[in-house]
Amino acid sequence: MMGRTIFIDPGRCIGCQACVSACRECDSHRGKSMIHLDYPDEGHSVASLPTVCMHCEDPVAPCAEVCPADAILVTADGVVQQADTTRCIGCANCVNACPFGVPKIDLQAKLQMKCNLCYDRTAYGLAPMCATVCPTGALFYGTVEELRAERPGVQVADSFTFGDVVVSTGVAMVVPADKVQWPVPGGLPIVEVNGRTVR
Amino acid sequence: MTEPPAAKPAVALRATAAGTAVSLLLILAIVFGSRRLKDFDSALLPYACATVFLAFGVAYRYTVWISSPGARRLFRQGWRSLFSAANFRRAPTALPRMAATYLGFQKFLGARSHARWAAHQLIFWGCLLAAAITLPLTWGWFTFTSSTGSGPGYEMRIWGVKILGFDSLNVLGWLMFHGLDIAAVLVIPGASYFLWRRMKDRGAITGQRFAYDLVPLILLIVISVTGLLLTFSSIFLHGGGYEFLAVLHMVSVVLTLIYIPFGKFFHIVQRPAAVGMQLFKYTARQDEQVFHCRRCGQPVDTAPYVENLRGTMRDLDLGFDAWAEYCPRCKRVLRGTAYLAHVKKGYK
Repeated sequence: MMGRTIFIDPGRCIGCQACVSACRECDSHRGKSMIHLDYPDEGHSVASLPTVCMHCEDPVAPCAEVCPADAILVTADGVVQQADTTRCIGCANCVNACPFGVPKIDLQAKLQMKCNLCYDRTAYGLAPMCATVCPTGALFYGTVEELRAERPGVQVADSFTFGDVVVSTGVAMVVPADKVQWPVPGGLPIVEVNGRTVR
Repeated sequence: MTEPPAAKPAVALRATAAGTAVSLLLILAIVFGSRRLKDFDSALLPYACATVFLAFGVAYRYTVWISSPGARRLFRQGWRSLFSAANFRRAPTALPRMAATYLGFQKFLGARSHARWAAHQLIFWGCLLAAAITLPLTWGWFTFTSSTGSGPGYEMRIWGVKILGFDSLNVLGWLMFHGLDIAAVLVIPGASYFLWRRMKDRGAITGQRFAYDLVPLILLIVISVTGLLLTFSSIFLHGGGYEFLAVLHMVSVVLTLIYIPFGKFFHIVQRPAAVGMQLFKYTARQDEQVFHCRRCGQPVDTAPYVENLRGTMRDLDLGFDAWAEYCPRCKRVLRGTAYLAHVKKGYK
């Protein structure tokens, strides 16, 4: 987990889309929102899940690893940048390899775009657009100590399971205290055939 | 930025062999193309040496690049699609069409920004024209000779074979002798626009690096301006300052040629490979081999592409390659559902 990062608490998200609108204002992808806001149980529940780039640390940036054009660079501070416009060929490897479903692609422009933690702001110590406008604190930017100063006793997790693979991330999620020792399930469905996991 | 890891010894060895072979081939091509150096202009020796280094650098980096799992697999699939007789029979115009729209007119850049497309087109055609003139001249492949010594009648020869005769005072002659000036006039506004954008546009400024983003633009402008000044010196200054300008021009060109394999200009070499990727996807789409998301049924991409990506992920020990069979939205929704079910049930 990075020092100053985003902490996501889906339990606080009210699905107001303020983060989606604010993200459009980011200078590095003006007019296009990179944050995803999904409703996992639409029609039955008001639960919503904001998704920013998790800035995977181990394995480091699978999107960058599968990129055939070396277009996705990782800065020394652990931020996985969006694709270099000169190099990106629009193959969508990153889009389909990302375990969190983060990168977007413009097929006409042959260009991948993704959340870069508002690098134009965070590089200067400012909070990302989404965390700045979130009215409920579902998206919090700071250190874990700053988070705990506001929310005493809060627990966070920065590892996720996909099948039997654990992915550690730079961005963390808020979890209940009794769940902190286990990685957060990534959602990859487990299919068992005759007692054997096939997916 | 973190730099890519150093090439593995086996890859480095293969890349060194490829670089050596390509640069030796170029030296042979220079020797025999200039009729055993009879047509070689020794004043252009630094340029020729820089192109030999360029050949080594490009072949070395290209080999390292296509050795990484993602690039290697798409590279192979691209060539396979290119050489497939069945694909050619089904869509004979696909390759030339893609080469023209993607590499030549770069339609995808227009979808990013019209101004950037226009500026890039100016740089692209200017650089192509300059390379088409400069490289054969420095290698001694082209010669311009006059039987009367000082013209105006000239003969253009390629590898010693006369291609055309022309009068240097007519329009064709003017175009022939000012080709590099025309190239400079195309490049200067294009590169200046990008340089201006790098100073003003906050999106472009985010994460930009001097050596990677600004140096190539400065080099293009220096080459073009010093090149134009050479013409200015010969026409208006009776050659005043010509030698100094010629050295300055040569230094900037040599630096640019040496820079090509390492920096932003390497995309010139990388881009054509992307046509193979497009062809790979296009031919699978023609066969309606579309892969649909396991959960929502929306198309993810072509089936051979998804299989290829899963292979790349397995090569990289990314053990969640089965996840590539779900669309990005379903991955997020399934993660949200799992969070609801197993992490924080009260979040409803």
